Amino acid sequence: MSFRQARWDEPLLWEIVPPPESLPAPPAIPGLPERVRRKSGVRWPELTEVEVIRHYTRLSQMNFGIDTSSYPLGSCTMKYNPKVSEMLARRSGAGEVHPYQPEATVQGSLELLWRLERALVKITGLPEVSLQPSAGAHGEFVALLMVRAYLRDKGELDRRTEVLLPDTAHGTNPASAAMAGFTTREIASKEGRVDVDALKAAVSDKTAAFMLTNPNTAGLFEKDIVDIASVVHGAGAMLYYDGANLNAILGITNPGRMGFDVAHLNLHKTFATPHGGGGPGAGVLAAGPTLAPYLPVPRIVKNGRKFRFDYDRPKSIGKIKTAYGNFGLDLRALVFILSHGEEGIRNVSRRAVLNSNYLAARLGKHLPRPFQPLVKHEFLLSGAPLKAHGVRTLDLAKRLLDEGVHAPTVYFPSLVEEALMIEMPETESKRELDQFAEAFERALADTPENLKAAPKNLSVGRVDEVAAARLLLLSWKDLRSRGAELGASPPSGSAPR
Amino acid sequence: MPRWISSEPGEEEGLLAGLGIKDVEELFADVPRQVRLGRMGVGAAREEQEVVALVDKILARNRPYSKYPAFLGGRMPIRYLPAAVDAVLLRSEFYTAYTPYQPEASQGMLQSLFEFQSLWVELTGLDAANASLYDGSTAAAEAVLLAHRVHEGHRFLIPESLPWEEKSVLRNYTAGLPVRFEEIPFDRRTGRLDLSAVDRAVAGGDVFGMLADVPNGFGVVDEGLLDLKSRLKQAPLVVSADPLALTVLEPPGAWGADIVVGEGQGFGLPPSFGGPLLGLFACRNEHLRYTPGRIVGATHDTNGRRAFTLTLQTREQHIRRSRATSNICTNESLLALAFTSYASLVGPRGLAELARKLSERARTLAAALSAVPGLKAPAFDAPYLWEFAVELTGGDPEKFLDRLYRRRVLGGTPLADPRPGASALPAPLYLTAATEFTDEAAIRKYARAAKAVLAASGGAQ
Repeated sequence: MSFRQARWDEPLLWEIVPPPESLPAPPAIPGLPERVRRKSGVRWPELTEVEVIRHYTRLSQMNFGIDTSSYPLGSCTMKYNPKVSEMLARRSGAGEVHPYQPEATVQGSLELLWRLERALVKITGLPEVSLQPSAGAHGEFVALLMVRAYLRDKGELDRRTEVLLPDTAHGTNPASAAMAGFTTREIASKEGRVDVDALKAAVSDKTAAFMLTNPNTAGLFEKDIVDIASVVHGAGAMLYYDGANLNAILGITNPGRMGFDVAHLNLHKTFATPHGGGGPGAGVLAAGPTLAPYLPVPRIVKNGRKFRFDYDRPKSIGKIKTAYGNFGLDLRALVFILSHGEEGIRNVSRRAVLNSNYLAARLGKHLPRPFQPLVKHEFLLSGAPLKAHGVRTLDLAKRLLDEGVHAPTVYFPSLVEEALMIEMPETESKRELDQFAEAFERALADTPENLKAAPKNLSVGRVDEVAAARLLLLSWKDLRSRGAELGASPPSGSAPR
Repeated sequence: MPRWISSEPGEEEGLLAGLGIKDVEELFADVPRQVRLGRMGVGAAREEQEVVALVDKILARNRPYSKYPAFLGGRMPIRYLPAAVDAVLLRSEFYTAYTPYQPEASQGMLQSLFEFQSLWVELTGLDAANASLYDGSTAAAEAVLLAHRVHEGHRFLIPESLPWEEKSVLRNYTAGLPVRFEEIPFDRRTGRLDLSAVDRAVAGGDVFGMLADVPNGFGVVDEGLLDLKSRLKQAPLVVSADPLALTVLEPPGAWGADIVVGEGQGFGLPPSFGGPLLGLFACRNEHLRYTPGRIVGATHDTNGRRAFTLTLQTREQHIRRSRATSNICTNESLLALAFTSYASLVGPRGLAELARKLSERARTLAAALSAVPGLKAPAFDAPYLWEFAVELTGGDPEKFLDRLYRRRVLGGTPLADPRPGASALPAPLYLTAATEFTDEAAIRKYARAAKAVLAASGGAQ
């Protein structure tokens, strides 16, 4: 595929129409003391609507999205975001509803959330669900707060201070555990999976929880899950499910059946809500009977045809964000579930796993696969052999961008040298997989010089990230005072407007 | 069945042939029998038009605030959204993108996040901003964690008037730390912070910071906050500020704030039943390495061309793991884009004029409500902007708001903590806000409805 990204000399907003250095004070507000009043107006440009629209349209043309190209980021599940969901999320009955309206006026919102919760109970196999967390990591943190509260009630909080995790865990897992006040210990994997003997040796009466992603970030199903659950529970600890990789097992197995006590899901991964260039996402917490009483308030309950918020949960940890959750995303996730239905949802994982294995088999002819043959929805390759030619995984990733496809996740997990982690969800057809494989093969066959010089076809060449960290130019204010240090000419801004 | 997964005849067979297997089921051979599922009971697939009909039927049970005179707010204001904001958000190169890990493929989102950071810096008067957090309440909580990282002590001061949800979020975010929150009371007449109580608390030592909000939980703009920093003896001052208020108020950075957080939903997003929201976060340069969240920086490419990239990533969970400054990964980037495009479409003069206009309407609203026997509006004798607390001279604000709704008025935002056994408000208070839709007719209707409710119930007991 021949590909050239748009390359606009697009100025920053204030370079389009530079605001003057000092602006008149904003209008006075009756009764407001002079002392609290802003002395000069906010330094921000006065632009016309078309200037703003052109600015963002041009910027958008310098951005990859799922709508422009396949996006094989491992553990990110970049699947197609259905347009019907965007349409429905913009209905006035969805957007123009305030969370603090009287309950009688928000029955639709409550019913929608309740229906999604019920569907997720069936999908996760855990009896209670809260949609309050804003994202996956938020869910992890809140789940560990629930574990804390449970241990306090049991009188074991002083003793159970340690959270265990495998070395393949996402970085958010140890970070969430630390934020919740636990120490963390990583357990070395054996051939890409949890080493049950090492886990047995690690658990003790100090263990609060074991956090596990299944399938894990090596793309492998933790087939000893039943033993793992029994080891963890035998030690009196809680078993936590990181749902980032749920896309591999929908309708095949679920956290409840595998013996997990609590799980988070990412609606923006498995349930096709858009990732927004970094967010918003939506997290979900699903809990078994031990931890469910600790879920954040309010919970939604149904009485006859009426729905209401229930705040009478004496063991609840309380609130973890303003309002109830990311409703706009919850709506999109429900659309996904309603559309697919039982068979469709199972087919999501069947196809995601089929895609992954197909691509793994094909690309595994060119680069070593640390763990094989059978993988789930994602797989790892090692770019280590490239080093003999002076090329690194990063160079390969940049060269892939030149083909008009996004790069895989790189350098994670750390147990694989020069790792490439590839996930092509169910929404990618065989044609797309073959095109990606061909792009990958072209990139691999290219000269080391070209690989190291990539990318060439994007709006900018290889970006100097080291300089960014050294310069720390983080705003217009920094550019005003120290912009010269950049040593780069700002765009001329002479594009016809 | 939706056309989101290819079902071309022969395709699946082609994939299986590439693997040399006959059945997809073989790919799940590693999932033990004893954990395999039967039916989930999720229901059958639906055609697109059936899903649209069902979702519309569910949403039809809502009564959108746009159908009523509505005076809701709190940290989630009702604003008119220019159509052009959504036109920007609907550029699917933005909304279907992931976090910009590959900067060369993501200059559009990175530049717009850099512009967002710049705008929050201009509004707050601080040095640097991050690329967003979940919402205003979690941004405030992350600010407390930052304060704890950079200053010794175990006591953190918060206003008694802070909304209960935010207090609960703060307590949860610090559950794993040896931290105690102490509430600084407000003056019962003015709603303003009792500064002498701050002095007494600080004199007790061991204070690692304080949070103050502008306007506060009762809508009060407290002039005393301008003198707060010097009372804290070097401990960080965290200010939670409304972005529109900052277009007309002195930037907190100018009066000593070390961290400024806020809720950004009012700039470009509908309340959408409370989410998604937008957490705003700015700090001083000396605290940069301790801040949570993604940060975008300017740099150059190999050809000397200006470019943008995520930076200071060694603070973050994917690198630093258990020693990261925060666990946050997914943030609210698209809403940051909404924030910046809203501010650019309305423009700085337009925003300040909006703040003035809303404040003027709020005064008309307060005058009309204070003429209703049984209401005190505003409840506090202090400056305010477009939102203020109303006091019922007797009765339960929640019941009052419910009864107002029966007269087709959405009168405001309840303030009481609804959890059984929670401490009661010091008075029967709720919040009411003027919006761009608050015209003379809406105000008359509100006053009439309030009068009728109070007359009928003798105080909404």
